Amino acid sequence: MEVTIDPLFLAWSYFRRRKLQQCADICTKILQDNPYDQDCSLPISEAAWSLKTRALTEMVYIDEVEVDQEGIAEMMLDESSIAQVTPWNKPGWRTQPVTQSGRPITGFVRPSTQSGRPGTMEQAIKTPRTASTARPVTSASGRFIRLGTASMLTNPDGPFINLSRLNLAKYSQKPNLSRTLFEYIFHHENDVKNALDLAAQATEHAQFKDWWWKVQLGKCYYRLGLYREAEKQFRSALNHQEIVDTYLYLAKVYQRLDQPITALNLFKQGLDHFPGEVTLLTGIARIHEEMNNISSATEYYRDVLKQDNTHVEAIACIGSNHFYTDQPEIALRFYRRLLQMGVYNCQLYNNLGLCCFYAQQYDMTLSSFERALALSTSDEEQADVWYNIGHVAVGIADLTLAYQCFKLALAFNNDHAEAYNNLAVLELRKGRVEQSKAFLQTAASLASHMYEPHFNLSILSEKIGDLQSSYTAAQKAEDAFPEHVDTQQLLKQLRVHFAAI
Amino acid sequence: MSLFKARDWWSAVLGEGEEFDQGCLCVGDVDNSGSGHDKVVVGSYMGMLRIFSPHASKSSEEVPADAQLLEVQLQNAIIQVELGKFVSCSDLLHLAVLHPRKLSVFSISGTAGNVEHGDQYQLKLVYEHNLQRTACSMTHGTFGGVSGHHSLCVQSMDGMLMFFEQESYSFGRFLPGFLLPGPLVYNPRTDSFLTVSSARQLESYKYETLAVATEAETRQDQDLSVNSGGKRLTPDWVFVLGEQALEVCVPSFSHSSSFIFILGERNLYCLRDNGQIHFMKKLEFNPSCFLPYASVRDGTTNLLLCNHTNMLLVYQDVTLKWAAQLPFVPVATRLANFPELKGVVTSLSSDGHLLCSYMGTDPSFFSTPKVDAREADYEQVEAEMKRLQKLIREATRTQDILPKSMTDEDLTVKVAVSSSMDDPSQALIPDIDGLLIPSITVQVKLKANSVIQTSKLTVSIQPPLAVTQDQFILEPMDIGSSTSVKFSAFLNGRYLPADLKGEITVSYNSPTELNPTGVPKILQSTFTLPLALVCVPSSPAKTTKFKITLDTNQAPVQLSSIFSEFSIKSEDKDGNSLAFQFLPGPKVTLLASKTSQRYRIQSDSFEDMWLVAKELVRRFDQYFSKLGVKDFKKSFSGPLPLQEYFLSVDHHFQLRVSAKQYQDLLSEQAVQFRAIQRRLLTRFKDKTPAPLQNLDTLLDTTYNQVMALADAAEENHTQLEEAFVRLRGSTQLLVLLLSLSQGLTPEQTAILEATLLPLLQDTPQLGWEESCDAAVSHLLRTCLSRSPKDQATSLAHTGAQILGLPRDTDRLKRHISLLCDRIAKGGRLTLASEANVQVPAQVQHLAAPGGIEPIPEVSGDGEDLPQEATKFIKKKHSVKKVRKDKKEESKESSEASVKEGEAADEPRKEKKETKKEPKKDSSSKEKKESSKEKKERDRDKEGKEASKELGDKKVSKKPSAKVKEKKKEPEASED
Repeated sequence: MEVTIDPLFLAWSYFRRRKLQQCADICTKILQDNPYDQDCSLPISEAAWSLKTRALTEMVYIDEVEVDQEGIAEMMLDESSIAQVTPWNKPGWRTQPVTQSGRPITGFVRPSTQSGRPGTMEQAIKTPRTASTARPVTSASGRFIRLGTASMLTNPDGPFINLSRLNLAKYSQKPNLSRTLFEYIFHHENDVKNALDLAAQATEHAQFKDWWWKVQLGKCYYRLGLYREAEKQFRSALNHQEIVDTYLYLAKVYQRLDQPITALNLFKQGLDHFPGEVTLLTGIARIHEEMNNISSATEYYRDVLKQDNTHVEAIACIGSNHFYTDQPEIALRFYRRLLQMGVYNCQLYNNLGLCCFYAQQYDMTLSSFERALALSTSDEEQADVWYNIGHVAVGIADLTLAYQCFKLALAFNNDHAEAYNNLAVLELRKGRVEQSKAFLQTAASLASHMYEPHFNLSILSEKIGDLQSSYTAAQKAEDAFPEHVDTQQLLKQLRVHFAAI
Repeated sequence: MSLFKARDWWSAVLGEGEEFDQGCLCVGDVDNSGSGHDKVVVGSYMGMLRIFSPHASKSSEEVPADAQLLEVQLQNAIIQVELGKFVSCSDLLHLAVLHPRKLSVFSISGTAGNVEHGDQYQLKLVYEHNLQRTACSMTHGTFGGVSGHHSLCVQSMDGMLMFFEQESYSFGRFLPGFLLPGPLVYNPRTDSFLTVSSARQLESYKYETLAVATEAETRQDQDLSVNSGGKRLTPDWVFVLGEQALEVCVPSFSHSSSFIFILGERNLYCLRDNGQIHFMKKLEFNPSCFLPYASVRDGTTNLLLCNHTNMLLVYQDVTLKWAAQLPFVPVATRLANFPELKGVVTSLSSDGHLLCSYMGTDPSFFSTPKVDAREADYEQVEAEMKRLQKLIREATRTQDILPKSMTDEDLTVKVAVSSSMDDPSQALIPDIDGLLIPSITVQVKLKANSVIQTSKLTVSIQPPLAVTQDQFILEPMDIGSSTSVKFSAFLNGRYLPADLKGEITVSYNSPTELNPTGVPKILQSTFTLPLALVCVPSSPAKTTKFKITLDTNQAPVQLSSIFSEFSIKSEDKDGNSLAFQFLPGPKVTLLASKTSQRYRIQSDSFEDMWLVAKELVRRFDQYFSKLGVKDFKKSFSGPLPLQEYFLSVDHHFQLRVSAKQYQDLLSEQAVQFRAIQRRLLTRFKDKTPAPLQNLDTLLDTTYNQVMALADAAEENHTQLEEAFVRLRGSTQLLVLLLSLSQGLTPEQTAILEATLLPLLQDTPQLGWEESCDAAVSHLLRTCLSRSPKDQATSLAHTGAQILGLPRDTDRLKRHISLLCDRIAKGGRLTLASEANVQVPAQVQHLAAPGGIEPIPEVSGDGEDLPQEATKFIKKKHSVKKVRKDKKEESKESSEASVKEGEAADEPRKEKKETKKEPKKDSSSKEKKESSKEKKERDRDKEGKEASKELGDKKVSKKPSAKVKEKKKEPEASED
């Protein structure tokens, strides 16, 4: 028996159930029957228009807190103190397998920090920018990862709303439409200027008493790079109403303004109002982590887990911390926990493989890497995994395999400095001094922050009698890692030698 | 992302293709059995009303039919079902069903049967209301504080609230500013209605206010009443959420808890009854529904929260207590008590999955997909492995990251300079002071011996010489095909070039089997342009400023026979004097002594003699070798013309200094310019403009100054270029004279030339003076130093200072004089002692292979090594063919690997992964021999290579000559 349901009601119900495409389709049909006109129209078409706007926005919605796309210029010219203490210089990492960026592969990617900071402009241009800026896995599912702005999505009938024809002043007077419209302009069309216009008029209409419009103004200012103005708006919004999001936005502004301590204080202030808020705790932990204060970061990640023990990022970060403090067995437990929770990606298996290897569970090592390879989605990941396999091969003294693995790593990623370095050592073992030297020099030029290529080059030069080159290379190694004992000894030896002549 | 899944207690799939939403699930003792056990009432959009009484299935049978109490198909879609005391004079629970246009209240009664499954249930309509507007949701409660009975409030799609007091319709009100409906609930504590409006704020309306507001039957009426200033409906309080809410819930567990929970799209809020925020939590997922269910600890509330990633989360306020995996995304969830089990989570999905579950530690089985792994057939795998290993070995031999050298040639390049000048001339400047500038055609022939792709030919020539076209893009060539290009060379400036040599570089890709795009390779070839390109014969001048006299050991020759092309117009009858009029002006006269075997070059300018002197020496060599004279010797006995040389050095230096001054001045002016600009800008930006105070004039003046300075600097730059070319000319002349006077070997001359002419180009950062000084002083400190002790100590200090423009040229001059002096006193130019140190900057990279030689060789085979080292230096200059630069290196490395025994103590990483492993344990003698053999072979190879070169005709003789030299060398260096 056929029953009839009001189409608008059905669309509304679909929207509530997040069946957005169906909702938008029905709204389109309603709007075809009752065209929407800005001046006078039936309430039903106005409602349908609003609902469709919401559906379209929701399709591409990404939490603005997580969106952080730094331009190349900003990355390069950024002199923020966070940037300067990135864990580049942390000693002893090179021989341990890590991602390209020096950040351990922890099974999640995070905006802005995920690829580290490129050292050179060239590298910066090569680094993928927006595409892989995904959200933490905890929240990525069920939402859409935006690869660019939605306005680029082709729409056969042209854009749903023609912004240039919109009378923003009129809409800003209608509180029941304006917020929806703003989100559409901001998130779907990505047209910050118009969004700013609308927000400015709307906040005026609300007599500057509506915290929400102030936050939106702040978001617009942030996007436009006017951080001080954004800060002002967020502060003012906080005076009206304490909201978690406002704290997060404001902290983001401070991070961008290179004031990590202020951001930390702000987060703590936020925690006073919203004790146990996971996003605030995570924010603190991330700042500590970026400032290379891993132990405090871990503390905060533990707090996060006390509030939400399914927090993937926290588990992964604590796990990697254990790994880098030479507790692979404990790290393994964290990673296994992630696996049980259903995280299933290349990085996780890679990390599992490494932990297994260092925890001497050799049976699991290779199969983990096998899975990691099967799951890898990009050449960089492939390269990292092959590099790690090569590392394991060195560990079990299968040098042929190691050689081939490093070669493969280089085939996938020609800039893999660590692989060059290790390949050089293997070449040297084969007695191919020239090859070895070339590889070491390549490695040194690709990643000047690593001390190993310099040190190896220094030893190589010393053995073949080129004391001068040895000395300069050793000095470079010392610059990269001042506490390295072997370098110190070598330098001392060389100085004694020079003095003897 | 959870460890556990919700344990399935009872489940059912309702209907097929039916749709369900938030309001479609209701739990309660619908048949008033009095047992306190709940039944589950589900209505669908398709109009099906179902009632279940779930109980644990005893066996593994399918959904037991006896769990379903009732299934009725109603006329209309069911939007919402509610249980409450909706019938007056009855305390029993009745079921209110909301259809789009109708509100019905049913009573459900059960009759116990004789057998277990014999119970009968009946649905009886008590009353119904027809609705004027499309309904979207309803709520019920004791509106107005009436106890004992529940009233109903239906919200329509266009924003009207319709109130029903049991069987009667009481009134309807429009909500202000309505656009789309939001969730609607009744808060009994404050007797008010809560809704989230389209303005994204939570609004609270008192029931009283609603009741007394103007009755509105249509939307238009409501607008009218607003306009006429009637009783306007205003909310009691509002709270801006900034987002749409999915659900609002007002739980009442105890008297102490008085909270309103709002599930937004992105946050969970908990407000107090007066609209103050109690707490909020940002959700990092997309929620679907929630249910505050109890207050376990005082002051806190536990709630269930479901999201679109199939999770059921249990929170205590903001702390996550449990997370469980559900098999679907629920649209509604309730708690129910069943006979066997209390507190069962009942959830309903949008497509009709009804699930009663409880929390348990059943792991949520996330089964990882299998990696494509087949049963390994070990023999087969081994065979494949062997095959692959072989392939890999093959591949590493032929192609690698660092390419290997190849023995056969891909391409041969022949350069032919035509013997006569072009007619008409191709030169850009037609004439200088009446002298026509000729041009000459150069033809390059290329013959491919293998497939060549994307080849490109570049001609480089010394300024001020120029060519008509300096880049050619060639078509891909097949094996055996040949092609040729032509261009003309001519003088394009008003000064003399330092060299008449030109260079042809061909870059090409030769594809291999595995690399179809090809390996990039480079081939170089040189050619020499005739002297006649830059000069014409003229009448000899008698008195000149500078003179150079060359001696030979052979009978004097007629100059006209040597310079046949210049002698045509020569007026001198006996042919022992010849004059060259260079196109840019200067004139050089060449005189041959009639009696002695002497020749004199004389000119008014020192630098210009270089081209003639070089040509003279070259033609002598050619002439006598044609005559078959073996021991032809030429020498220069006079004092070195250092003073004259220093003049051009000073000239060059002066220009560099002024270039620097210009630059400093320019930057000063630029700073000033910017400062004025800034001031002007602040003036203009000011809201109350101040007078300009002649700043504009100042700006103009500064601008003019900057431009004038830039022009002057540019001119200076041109002069500097010219001066550098002249300096190179004179330096080369000096080198020639020095080598002639001391009889230096070609190797030593090459070192000397590399020392004195380290740069091909002058830059502001690194100029000739400092680099030359560094090179000269290095030579002085090493091979030309007085004692070997000096030599050793100096090594440790090299490369310390940074090269920069020196204050004056005194030091350089002193060093150059000292160099000439030492060479004159018998100092030997060699890089032998530098086998283990950094070689001068200009030869460093090529010399490196020589530096690889293990140290023990020096003691054992001392005399061999210098030769070896110099050989590499030599290569830099004599080998015209550079095949990717690696050719030499790889050859060396193969050589080095033979000797690796000594260097077996290899470097290793700090991880000590490399172990000592002596490669070859052969005796040093064997090695020596083998290395010697190798060297011989190398030399032969080099000879072969060289013989293939064209443009240098003498090359074919090289191999034998070299071996001879090598034998001689040890004796020579004994002293």
